[in-house]
Amino acid sequence: MKIAITALEGNSNAKMDARFGRAKFFVIYDQDTKEWSSISNEAAEAAHGAGPLAVQTLADAGVKIVITGNGPGGNAARGLQTAGINVFLNKDDITVQEALDKYLKNELISF
Amino acid sequence: MKEVVVISGKGGTGKTVITSALAYALGQDCVLADCDVDAADMHLIFKPQTQIAEDFYSGEEPEIDAEKCIQCSLCVQKCRFNAIKMAESAIEFDPFACEGCGFCSYICPQGAITMKPRYTGKSFQSEIRTGTTMVHARLLPGGENSGKLVAHTKKVAHKLAEEKNVPYILVDGSPGIGCPVISSLSGANYVLLVTEATQSAFHDLKRVYELIQKFRIPAGCVINKHDLNPALTTNIEDFLHEMDVPLLAKIPYDETVLKAVKSGQAINEFAPKPYAEIIDKIKHRIF
Repeated sequence: MKIAITALEGNSNAKMDARFGRAKFFVIYDQDTKEWSSISNEAAEAAHGAGPLAVQTLADAGVKIVITGNGPGGNAARGLQTAGINVFLNKDDITVQEALDKYLKNELISF
Repeated sequence: MKEVVVISGKGGTGKTVITSALAYALGQDCVLADCDVDAADMHLIFKPQTQIAEDFYSGEEPEIDAEKCIQCSLCVQKCRFNAIKMAESAIEFDPFACEGCGFCSYICPQGAITMKPRYTGKSFQSEIRTGTTMVHARLLPGGENSGKLVAHTKKVAHKLAEEKNVPYILVDGSPGIGCPVISSLSGANYVLLVTEATQSAFHDLKRVYELIQKFRIPAGCVINKHDLNPALTTNIEDFLHEMDVPLLAKIPYDETVLKAVKSGQAINEFAPKPYAEIIDKIKHRIF
């Protein structure tokens, strides 16, 4: 399963980005291959509709779990639900790797 | 670093009056960000001295290459916003009617139309008399606030706060619950809700509360002009109690506030008695 984390840079040592729709990067961990990858989020520059556009990017990448800061807005939340992507929230200022560890230890709240 | 966002749902509740008073009380301890860009008014209180001005682009608009255009008028016929007109010798587009959808560019058989980023206004970093920086923006006529502009304004404020080691970011959010508000709330550590004793303000308070509850951001509330409708104020207090949102202050209707705004001052600057104490109390509950 693929887990995406909203991040300020495109690697697992980057700090998390609290934003969902306009997050700078989605850093993705593939639990099957144990490999990291990242996507630069084009929705960050959208004037409107950044949330749903970001959902499309994640859905296209086959992501099933996303970890972000404050939670997506209404339109993005509906899109994520339709795409079958579950959201978990982390409020602390931590790195992508740390957020993943917290998720794997069941320490994050479900949106 | 702690980011506090002030929102109200309904406009005109006194959101900017409270935000500017908090900024005045915090002085150098906060970077101030005016994200209510559709109706920006914080500059009336703080008369910012602009240090840096940048052009801001949002959305797109068509650029028509007159040399490639054969005036087939397909774009004129197909534009559902009637934004393209056949003028005497060339095709012209109306920036106020154009939605920036890009369909004209997509269908042009000559490839004569390219979509270019739309210049919508300016973003500023300015010094204000409390000894801090204010990040704000001004839109051109017809330009609208967007999640993108709010995100940009907050990003600049964060960068400045980090560089200058300022502990707080104070954000004047936009009214409503749409895109700019969601963008204002992203990354916030605390939300100050400013409401007033009117039915429409109470209605909108409930809507914004729903939003921040989903975002799981801690919040507090100020009821402004509480004596306009004491019965309604009781209802608002009951709602806050039920939702476990602390009531930080109740402020009566007072024409001194209008005088302060007209003279271009924060309320606690214009009338330290009683407002310095009221605002300080709110400040200590939040910061």
